[in-house]
Amino acid sequence: MEGKVGVFICHCGGNISDYVDVEKVKEAISGLPGVVVSTTTMFACSDAAQQEIIDSIEDEGLDGIVVASCSPKLHLHTFRGVAARAGLNPYRYVHVNIREQCSWAHRKDRDAATEKAVALIRAGVARALRSESLERFRVETRPSVLVVGAGISGLRSALALSEMGLSVTIVEREEEPGGFFRKVRNAYPGGLDGREVVDSLLSEVAARENITLFTGAQVVEKKGTVGDFQVKIRVSDGSTVTLLVGAVLLATGFEPYEPAPGEFGFGHPRVVRLPEFLELLDGGRGMSLLKDGDTVAFIYCVGSRGTKGCEEARPGDYCSRYCCGAAVHTACRLAEVFPGVSQYHLFRDMRTYGKLEALYEEASREGAVFLRFPGDSPPAVVPDGERLLVRSKDTLLGGEEVEIAADLVVLVTGMVPRENSGLVEVFKVPVGRDGFFNEVHPKLRPVETVIDGVFIVGAGQGPKTAQEAVASALAGSAKCASLLLKGYVELEPFVAEVDRDLCEWCGECEKVCPYGAIRQVHCEGKEVAEIVPALCKGGGSCVPACPKGAIDLAGFRDSQIRAMIDALAGGGA
Amino acid sequence: MTSRVDPKVKEEVQRFGARDLSLCFNCGTCTATCPLSAEGPSFPRKIIHLLQVGLREELLSSPEPWLCYYCGECSTSCPREANPGETMMSARRWLIASYDCTGISRKIYTSRVWEWGLIAAASLLVVLLFAIFHGPIVTDRVALNTFAPVEWISLADHVAALFALSILGTNALRMARSILGKNGVSPLAFVRALPVFFVNLFTQKRWKECGESQREWILHLLLVASYVGMMVIIIFFLSWFQTDEIHPFFHPQRLVGYAIAAIMMVVPILFMRGRVRRDKEIHRFSHPTDWTFLILLFLIALTGILVHVFRISGMPEATYAAYVIHLAVDAPWVLVIVPFGKWTHIVYRPFALYLLAVKEYSLREAVEGQPETA
Ligand code: HEM
Ligand code: SF4
Ligand code: SF4
Ligand code: SF4
Ligand code: SF4
Repeated sequence: MEGKVGVFICHCGGNISDYVDVEKVKEAISGLPGVVVSTTTMFACSDAAQQEIIDSIEDEGLDGIVVASCSPKLHLHTFRGVAARAGLNPYRYVHVNIREQCSWAHRKDRDAATEKAVALIRAGVARALRSESLERFRVETRPSVLVVGAGISGLRSALALSEMGLSVTIVEREEEPGGFFRKVRNAYPGGLDGREVVDSLLSEVAARENITLFTGAQVVEKKGTVGDFQVKIRVSDGSTVTLLVGAVLLATGFEPYEPAPGEFGFGHPRVVRLPEFLELLDGGRGMSLLKDGDTVAFIYCVGSRGTKGCEEARPGDYCSRYCCGAAVHTACRLAEVFPGVSQYHLFRDMRTYGKLEALYEEASREGAVFLRFPGDSPPAVVPDGERLLVRSKDTLLGGEEVEIAADLVVLVTGMVPRENSGLVEVFKVPVGRDGFFNEVHPKLRPVETVIDGVFIVGAGQGPKTAQEAVASALAGSAKCASLLLKGYVELEPFVAEVDRDLCEWCGECEKVCPYGAIRQVHCEGKEVAEIVPALCKGGGSCVPACPKGAIDLAGFRDSQIRAMIDALAGGGA
Repeated sequence: MTSRVDPKVKEEVQRFGARDLSLCFNCGTCTATCPLSAEGPSFPRKIIHLLQVGLREELLSSPEPWLCYYCGECSTSCPREANPGETMMSARRWLIASYDCTGISRKIYTSRVWEWGLIAAASLLVVLLFAIFHGPIVTDRVALNTFAPVEWISLADHVAALFALSILGTNALRMARSILGKNGVSPLAFVRALPVFFVNLFTQKRWKECGESQREWILHLLLVASYVGMMVIIIFFLSWFQTDEIHPFFHPQRLVGYAIAAIMMVVPILFMRGRVRRDKEIHRFSHPTDWTFLILLFLIALTGILVHVFRISGMPEATYAAYVIHLAVDAPWVLVIVPFGKWTHIVYRPFALYLLAVKEYSLREAVEGQPETA
């Protein structure tokens, strides 16, 4: 192979050199054919070391470089940038990980670690010698967004996106927009009426020319890729509409946990979930349900934190975050409406974080009694004539059992994701074990999914208060806008290529491609496969599927991989 | 065992003086600082929690309130200023009312009208009895035993004491039944534990461990000594004490009388001064019945000494009048305060310790007896 390769071996302070004999590695590599530079460096990522690499690319006229250092997750882009600054195509840079894969993995065996490092770098050199210059390609983006869900998160997102000049289509499954928050009569703080909040959002939405709202509508199909999605929706009259959008925001929200029949007495007319109890209380209908001298027992963590009220129960393992706060807020409301009603709150842990703590304080001032039950032994609810007997262990009495004769039992139910299987199917977004959408990174990329251009906001991503849901909605909108407002997206050039001479269109590749990136075209008198670069993720499923060996993957060509395997196995570079 | 909650307990006990029960967040600092809750029964946190939750049966069977001697260290250390010491005090008042089978205790603890109404009724009874049954009024010399023959007075004393004792005994039995529960108690343990009752009745020795200063304990002990002395005299030696004869100053009858009267006036005054100044935790909060108790105690001594002063000064009418007043103060004491009021602590405190000892002896017997039966 022609070409000149430079190899830079990093000490990583001592992270690598303490366990790998980098000098020996350098010696072993320097003799390889094509290697014109083999050197070690204390910190390859330091500014000075980067400059040295640039200098040697320019001075030696290198055609490819290898940096043997840490994980590519950390510095792949750093060194691609170094290559670019030196005028070398960034895809002629090869990253070799000798820290995680050698020094850290084989601390106890310096010789073996060193030997492995040599082998890995040899493979890297083999690949660098065969590397080709590739260009990222651009996809034009459409300045429009599909928002799925017209709850408080979806509506707020739509307005934010519209303010940034993007046109928005909102698709809501229910006939009436507003989601869960519409039903809230008295939100904390400030006693906001959810219906008023939703109505004001809706009138804003109606006033915006660049927002369209479909209710009673459902997404049925998605095609295309980031920047250019074609999404088919079925609207209320049964017809379908195809939307052309640059990005999709999923704001599907949650629903209150539905206890299993009999779980904590559920099904008994005097056992209600918190949302329904609030509807009764705020709607003034609690009057018929309660009278002075009655006792209400609240049971917390129903449907959350693995709290099982019966064998058939399927609670989430997570904490639903909002329910402790909602329950103590309800306690204050109940004390206001029914000062003569006694309240017992059976909780597992009081998670009234942040400003909600003030409500907990207020609730106990108002006379609500708080009893902590052990997580592995939740209360039991037994009907007893008109009343219900709630038996619970009291951790503050060393686990002794107490019994409350309640006139009403309120189940403080947590949040579960909406039934979204159709949507998940269409958008291929990953969901966690708990059924909520999964973000790419729980801390650093909380509103993005692994599907480029598809974002998740609000309680569909995980339990959130209204405030937190809106914060995430605005974050998602900003992410979305920063993607679309540039007008284009740049994609990695690792896409499959079909050799039209070899291809006979058997369709095997189309069958295996999970991204629908392959289509059949007519070309020079025969049917062949064609790759749509914007859809191809470079996953390579099609390569081995082709019986004719007609497909190759740019950046990961068979020839490159074979050469690497040979180099690893001890053959020449 | 499952105990049923009763939401009314919280409000109820607040009528007995408990401050805001919702303040306590059960951190347990108070129990950690309480010098008397070192081992065995744990308080005051647990009692506050029982009150908050409303576990009536558990409370009735808890001896803990009687083990607290109100040093107030818990109240000083409570981060929520929930006044656990006063909560324990209120729990005791509530317990007194709850043990009482007649319901009168509850009335006098929760209603000023009932409290003073009953006191006035008892006084009036004395005045009435004297109006109808008094002996000849000799005016040329002091003849108290002619005006109020000592055998009659003694008989009335004994009837009143028997009345108080039967009420107290019944209520103490109710207390015993609650505290001992259904667990088997060995009959021998009832006997073996008796010294605990008497030692604590006469010495209040646990008070010594309670708090840094022993001042309250010593004052109280002086008071106990004089009160017990006076009771013994009245019940068993009234004819020695109530004579028309004027003994010389150094006669034991006069010396004992002066000492008892002095202590029974000075100590209540010191306690009352404390309650006005609120300078110690034990005196920071005063329930009306706390005042009644001290005032009547002081008045008993004061009117008693007045009778004596008038008698040795040779003032017959004043002596007789003072004597009627003295008995009009004594009667509410014996008929109201002793069986239904704060006086009951004299029985319940040592009795609670006795019951605990009974339980412990029984347990020990059961353990010791095991190898033989096995
Ligand atoms: C035998 C006659 C007794 C008399 C005349 C007597 C009198 C009093 C008085 C006047 C007070 C109120 C103090 C104040 O207001 O500051 C008091 C409180 C107290 N007494 Fe007694 N007592 C007697 C027996 C006992 C016994 C046998 C015990 C314990 C075993 C006891 C323990 C206490 C305690 C701990 C207090 C303070 C807390 C409270 O007020 O409940 N006393 N006593
Ligand atoms: S917020 Fe409270 S009630 Fe809700 S799941 Fe978490 S701990 Fe349980
Ligand atoms: S598998 Fe190969 S031969 Fe078949 S259509 Fe795809 S590229 Fe052509
Ligand atoms: S009374 Fe005070 S110190 Fe005791 S548990 Fe309650 S808050 Fe804590
Ligand atoms: S007042 Fe003293 S003895 Fe009573 S509970 Fe408090 S610390 Fe303990």
